[in-house]
Amino acid sequence: MLGRLQNRYDVVVVGGGPAGLAAAIGARDAGAGRCLVVDREPEAGGILLQCIHSGFGLHHFKEELTGPEYAQRFFEQALEHDIDVVPESYVSGIGIDSDGTRRVRVLNETRGLHTVDCRSVVLAMGCRERTRGAIRIPGTRPAGVLTAGLAQKFVNLMGYLPGRRVAILGSGDIGLIMARRLVLEGCEVVGVFELMPYSNGLTRNVVQCLDDFGIPLHLSTTVTAIEGRDRVSAIHVAPMGPDGRPDLQRQRRVECDTLLLSIGLIPENELSASLGIDLDLVTRGPRVSSTLETSLPGVFACGNVLHVHDLVDFVTGEALRAGRHAGEHAQGIRMARDNITLVAGDNVRYCVPHTLSTGREHTIFMRCKEPMKPCEIVVGDRMRKRLSFVVPAEMIMFTIKPDALEGYHEDTLRIDIRPLEGAGRRATDAAGQGGAA
Amino acid sequence: MSENAAFTCIGCPIGCPLQLTHEGREILEIEGHQCNRGAKYARQEFTDPRRGMSTTVRIEGARWARLPVKVTKPIPKNRVIEAARIIHGVVVQAPVKVGDVVLRNLLGEEGVDVIATRSM
Ligand SMILES: Cc1cc2nc3c(=O)[nH]c(=O)nc-3n(C[C@H](O)[C@H](O)[C@H](O)COP(=O)(O)OP(=O)(O)OC[C@H]3O[C@@H](n4cnc5c(N)ncnc54)[C@H](O)[C@@H]3O)c2cc1C
Ligand code: SF4
Repeated sequence: MLGRLQNRYDVVVVGGGPAGLAAAIGARDAGAGRCLVVDREPEAGGILLQCIHSGFGLHHFKEELTGPEYAQRFFEQALEHDIDVVPESYVSGIGIDSDGTRRVRVLNETRGLHTVDCRSVVLAMGCRERTRGAIRIPGTRPAGVLTAGLAQKFVNLMGYLPGRRVAILGSGDIGLIMARRLVLEGCEVVGVFELMPYSNGLTRNVVQCLDDFGIPLHLSTTVTAIEGRDRVSAIHVAPMGPDGRPDLQRQRRVECDTLLLSIGLIPENELSASLGIDLDLVTRGPRVSSTLETSLPGVFACGNVLHVHDLVDFVTGEALRAGRHAGEHAQGIRMARDNITLVAGDNVRYCVPHTLSTGREHTIFMRCKEPMKPCEIVVGDRMRKRLSFVVPAEMIMFTIKPDALEGYHEDTLRIDIRPLEGAGRRATDAAGQGGAA
Repeated sequence: MSENAAFTCIGCPIGCPLQLTHEGREILEIEGHQCNRGAKYARQEFTDPRRGMSTTVRIEGARWARLPVKVTKPIPKNRVIEAARIIHGVVVQAPVKVGDVVLRNLLGEEGVDVIATRSM
């Protein structure tokens, strides 16, 4: 029920984005009695509410939806599953009693500090954007420098334009989507500047958000300074030199009144850190077992707080599983502990989950470090999978069948991505998932 | 005399560079694709490029100032900005339900409507 907050639950979910809503639904489907979703925003739905473009749901619903449509379906499903959803409430901490009860502290404007007891907790706090401070751009500190996601919220929900003449640093999907969005709203987008020699966004977004509107994409280029007293008046950009630093000799000035930053997302793990949960230095999310349980028993994680996803459909799949395991845990069902630690090998930036157990099927999410095509995922001596290409911007998902790990006695299992020379170039078995940002 | 047109396939993230050779409106050859989707895409882009579109309109009496909307069918690519201008002239009153039509026959195209993508 919307707004109902009781004292005792089986499962409490922190964050009401697509991950949190799906986790609660998964927990109910697994038989958990009472489930609560808490979100600090005025309504559940998470970041999807501001992602008004379409491209969501191709995997999960087999149709192309916009972000708000996708969020609304899950919100309605959650209410149909008799889940309590409490917006405008902030989870400020989680305590653990000696008998194993978890106490979730919920701050709410009208109710003040409210403590909720539960058996399992699912962390689904999403992520936030990296800001100017994270990359230390030199120059003055004028108004007009903001993250692309904040601009998205201003334009799509609040009805403010961030400026008139806009430059964008970073070619991730959010930046690309915002370039098109601002053009449709009558702004001029002077260019997208990307440090890497390739775009970090999907080809589809480069074509439909930039090429369609004649917006230039400058690869291997970065912003070297910001100019302006009260308001941004210009930025300086320079191509990257062979030594990996901007070549200031070739620096040029670009006039603009706004600089949007689309330079990466960071899982929002202050709460996890305060609980003393083990975090992965690469994903910046919790380390999790094959049941998506963190190092703290009974506390699970899913969605962007665990690792940054590019497709919400994958978030949903992962969250349904996390919710199911949290629901089972709440009912006292315990799985055998994992006995194999996954190790990220050649050209693997990370893989989630961090441990596996023999005798069960596992879904693995991973990212490569460098683009490669064609190539092969090599899972120890157990499994090989050919892909026609991999790129860092696209998460790779695959399953390990239970029989693949039969008789495996090592403690660790290494995953590599290796180039395949002259291999078949059929695109139909590509890793590519198409879809949206 | 034959001419060339270049496209980047968006069918999957490989993003094959496509070369289309044509004489007037007649397509002679398509190259560069690694699968059939690429050829189909180049043909479509050459003959009648279309785009889906989403934007927002002003909403009064609601939690937020803007209501997200989308067109129900792809519209010609070269009229996307014109369509946005027309849609931005719309003002609606809350409450609105997801799927409600806020504008009919956009650009005079029969059956192309603009609908709300959330309830508010
Ligand atoms: C700006 C931006 C744009 C994006 N655009 C796209 C896109 O176009 N397409 C796409 O597929 N993906 C996009 N993504 C990725 C997108 O975040 C994921 O697909 C998906 O929304 C992640 O779901 P989530 O539930 O994990 O996180 P979120 O949707 O971020 O939801 C997390 C929720 O938790 C709440 N929360 C956090 N901490 C607390 C707390 N302590 N107490 C209470 N509530 C809390 C937050 O308010 C938020 O509502 C975008 C991400 C960002 C940041
Ligand atoms: S032609 Fe086929 S392989 Fe190439 S980008 Fe298009 S869909 Fe992918």
